[in-house]
Parts: sequence; C-alpha cells; structure tokens
Amino acid sequence: MSAVLRVPALLGVGLVWLYRLTFGALFPTTCKYHPSCSEYAVQALRRHGLVRGSLLAGWRLLRCNPWSHGGFDPVR
Amino acid sequence: MILYTIPIISQLETVMKHVLSWFHTSLGLPWAWAIVGTTVVVRMLLVPLTIKQIHSMQNLQRYAPQMKEIQKKYKGDKQKQNEELMKFYRENQINPAASCLPMLLQLPVFIALYYTLKHFDSNFHPGASANLSFLHFIPDITVQTTAVWGGYVLLVVYVLSQMASTFFMAATADKTQRTLFMIMPLIFVFVIAHFPAGLVLYWVTTNLWTVGQGLITRRLVAQTPAPSLERRSSRTPPKDDGTSGNGAKADAPAPKPAPSASQQPRQVRRKKKRTSRRGARSRT
Repeated sequence: MSAVLRVPALLGVGLVWLYRLTFGALFPTTCKYHPSCSEYAVQALRRHGLVRGSLLAGWRLLRCNPWSHGGFDPVR
Repeated sequence: MILYTIPIISQLETVMKHVLSWFHTSLGLPWAWAIVGTTVVVRMLLVPLTIKQIHSMQNLQRYAPQMKEIQKKYKGDKQKQNEELMKFYRENQINPAASCLPMLLQLPVFIALYYTLKHFDSNFHPGASANLSFLHFIPDITVQTTAVWGGYVLLVVYVLSQMASTFFMAATADKTQRTLFMIMPLIFVFVIAHFPAGLVLYWVTTNLWTVGQGLITRRLVAQTPAPSLERRSSRTPPKDDGTSGNGAKADAPAPKPAPSASQQPRQVRRKKKRTSRRGARSRT
C-alpha cells in the first residue's frame, strides 16, 4: 500500500491506542483470544486498511463474547 | 473533543438524555440517583453475559493445575505461554471467562453519559432550585469532580472500588499483570478527576456492582463441584491424543475422568456436542 493510502488505517490504529490507554486500562479484562482484540485490530488495520481492517476487528469483537471459546486467532 | 464529531455520539447522548429524564421525572429520583439507576439497569442487562461467565469460571477452576503447568513450562516466554494456554483452552473446549464484548458494551454508555453531563444545562434546563447533589457531600454532579471537597471523597471511593472490582474481575492469574491492574486506578484517578462528578458516580456504581457480583460468583463457584468436570472432560481424552506434541503434561490427568465418560448419560453428551459445534461455527 502506498503511504497516502495507509493514513486512514493509521488513524484507526491511533484510535485503538486511545482506547487502550483510557477505557481499556480502566476495565481490565484479559482477552480470551490471542492476539487480544485490540492487538488484532491494530494488525488488521495495518494489513487490510481502514475499511476491511475495521470490519475484521468488529467481527472479532463480536466473536469475543462469553459464548465463544477463544483461542489462537491471528489476522489472516 | 474530536469524538463528538462522530454522528452516533450525539445520538447516544439523546438516548441517555431520555433515560435519565425518565428516571428523574417518572420515578421522581434526584439526578444523581437517576445516574445510579441507569448504571444498575445497564449492569442488569449484562447479567446474562455474566451468568455465562460464572459457568466459565467454574469450569476453568477445574483445569487450574494443568494451566499452571503450562505457565511454568513457558515461564520465560510470555507470548508462547499465552499461545499454549489458548491452545489448551481450545483442545479442552474451555471457554475462558474473560471476553471483550461485555466490557466494550459499557463504552457507549460511558461516552453518552459524559456528553449528557457536559451539556447538562442545555439538555435538561434545570432551574436554580434543581437538586443536583448526591448524598449531601457532592453539591453538583455536573461540575468537575475536584471542584468540591466531596469530590475528593468520591475519588477515594472510586479508587477503592476500582481496586476491589479488579480483584474480582481481572481474569488473569499472572501476578505482574494483576499488580499492574491494581495500580492502574491510582494513575487514572488523575484523569478521572477532570470528569464531572456524575461520571465518577457511574464508575463507582458499576464497580460496586462488579464487586457484589464477584462475591456471589465466588460463593457459587465454591459451592458447585464435580458434575460439570465430568461433563467437560468426557471429551478430553481423544482431544489430548491428537495433540500429544504440545499437550504432554495435560495428558496426565486425562485418564482419570475417562471412565466417567462411559457413565455419562447420553443427553449430557449431546448437549456438549451442540455447544462445540456452535463454537466451531462462530470461528468461521
């Protein structure tokens, strides 16, 4: 991806970090997946850009519910 | 804040505004107690998720020795340790208690409350005589917490309640991580001090709810023993055989519950299968 196209994704990554440093730190739960949801979001955004990365991260968050089994689940 | 430019945030604020004014006008609660009421409702809505978490915790407890073994084995490498633990969860159909969604569902509520309190005057047009106090020590829940001496009391209560809720909810056995989580509120109290007192009130309430829930959970977990161990581990032996590579240690306790598997009533097994299939589907 060219540098310009990467900017929106980096904004997304920035938002994830904002979350991590504020709300995420206040409500400590360790994720049932590896990598954790926020790490997954960062990787997905970097690899697939803002739109697809956000969708992937959103889908992962929905999977990270009390009924799922968690486990090793890297970004593809 | 930049966040407010996102359209959904103002919609969230509108919803929160209606909820708060319902508590205030229909139930006749003072504004501060309307916030407490809203918090309680939010947490009550999350109870089904919590119940599932309690079941997970009960189940998790039974695998504690094996998990400790894995943690010991990969002591130096946190990443590897985590990966192996996750594999162990999956192999044994363990459903870890922690998950991100329930926690994240509280985020919109929090943001909505932040903006509702920030725009309190234009939202509700409270008269000069409006009761905005909380238990006499906070005269106005819409002002910055540190503006009044009562705010400092509230902040102390916040720190204590946050530590207590972390004690119950931080679903990690890792000592360093736990300690870090316990210290966190001491750092974040400086950020929170800038928020309106009503928001801190929300936080304290939700923490206290978590503590209460944690106390009940502990009692329930302690009370209910064996049955679900047998149910769970009826599946364990074949799974372990397939992964002898990394599950060498986990193999050891597996034979023990194996005989009980044959005694299991059919119904229970079928139930188990269904959940595992659901799990598999959700992964794809």
